[in-house]
Amino acid sequence: MNAAIGIVVLPLLMVAIVFYFLPLLARPGIYFGATVDPAFPRSPEGRRLLDSFRLQVIVSGLLACGLAVLLLPLNLVGAELVPMALLIAAVSFVYWKKFHQVHSHYGERLPEVRQADLSAQPAKESFSPWLVLPPFLALAAVGVFLQLHWDQLPQHYPIHFDINGEPNRWADRTALSVFSPLLVGGATNLLLLGLAWLIATTSRKTVMRYVTVRGLQVMLYPLTFTLVTVSLLPFWRSPMWIVPLVMLVSIAGLIYWSYGRISSPHSSDAVPEPRSDNYWKAGMFYYNPDDPAIFVAKRVGIGYTINFASKWAWVVLIGLLLTPLVPLLLVRMK
Amino acid sequence: MMCILSVYSTQLSSDLTLRIDLDSAVPAYRQIVDGLRILLVSGKLAAGSDLPSVRRLAVDLGVHFNTVAEAYRMLNDEGWLDLRHGRGATVIKRDAPSAAPEHVEEFRARLRALIAEALSKGVSTTKLKTELLKLIDEVTT
Repeated sequence: MNAAIGIVVLPLLMVAIVFYFLPLLARPGIYFGATVDPAFPRSPEGRRLLDSFRLQVIVSGLLACGLAVLLLPLNLVGAELVPMALLIAAVSFVYWKKFHQVHSHYGERLPEVRQADLSAQPAKESFSPWLVLPPFLALAAVGVFLQLHWDQLPQHYPIHFDINGEPNRWADRTALSVFSPLLVGGATNLLLLGLAWLIATTSRKTVMRYVTVRGLQVMLYPLTFTLVTVSLLPFWRSPMWIVPLVMLVSIAGLIYWSYGRISSPHSSDAVPEPRSDNYWKAGMFYYNPDDPAIFVAKRVGIGYTINFASKWAWVVLIGLLLTPLVPLLLVRMK
Repeated sequence: MMCILSVYSTQLSSDLTLRIDLDSAVPAYRQIVDGLRILLVSGKLAAGSDLPSVRRLAVDLGVHFNTVAEAYRMLNDEGWLDLRHGRGATVIKRDAPSAAPEHVEEFRARLRALIAEALSKGVSTTKLKTELLKLIDEVTT
């Protein structure tokens, strides 16, 4: 029961922690998604707004955790999903209220000056084979290893474990079950690389583009590690904590590195994003019908969002959401 | 806003930046034409230089494709650019045409209006002369 409480409560706490720190994960001059004087967040009024937001996040987080514990005896999935949905809705609403408050009372309007690099060959983001290929080679090497040791694979082996570490799902020794984690790994890696390429070719040259494209390439490594570990389960049952730990350390390291680059006083955007708050609905959603860019650097947090006014952005978004369903459909059809 | 157009280029001719101000009363395509023409006249964009594609420049400036396409078409009509379908534009060698009398008269009228505006806002004639000579220098060298 204690472990089950941990499973439903931990993700809620993580979401609350992300929102707790979110207002600070922005470039100087952006506060709750609104354009302000860079000194405003440190002013008494700026601090008061942050304290009030954080208090509401903490209360929402605790209420969600309480609800999850109450729902747990009834239904595990319900106890995971309902409080999570309510928590995200509540903290998003609180965030929107703060954006509105900051934008209306303390917002600044910067001149809408745009600039473009006219050099014949503007520098593009790099996709180094030395960085990109090793994860694919690792997947291929494990595939070869499994093929060579086919006879040593047990007829049935565990592929899923419960919260106590006991196996609760088993697989037969078939080509699909043995190689599918590797295929999923290859497909996921290609999807991430495709996304990185799309961002690199269809967005403006900003510091955020550099860290996002590089970050997506680096993420191939923890993902590949996860799927290699799953593939090798018949031979090596790793400690349960190792995969989440590798993933957590990788993501934390990437966030730390990215934020360092974005907030560095020495880095500036070669081609900056549009600056007006009017393009940011609720401080979170970029909507600019005149802008042909599909991807736009986030104002708060790290990474890219889409231009919701672009039909191609919707095509990309729906494609990204549907892609994970393709393997499931293929398995069903088979 | 007084700022009609500013074109920023660093000392290195290979590092060229075009700026437009969307708050200005001057339409964006006009600002792009004016900004590019300054770089073309000064030789910072030399014959043979490739300009970014319409799509690339539109994304960078955050304006509609047609805005950039219209600007490129106007410079093409003036003989500055060679437009290749789907591949952007290349600067071509262009001999300065001899100015037609009606063009000279048009520029004189525009300059007269600008000078009157500057004087009415308190800019001295000495300052005006110095700035004019400095700008001619900037654009032509």
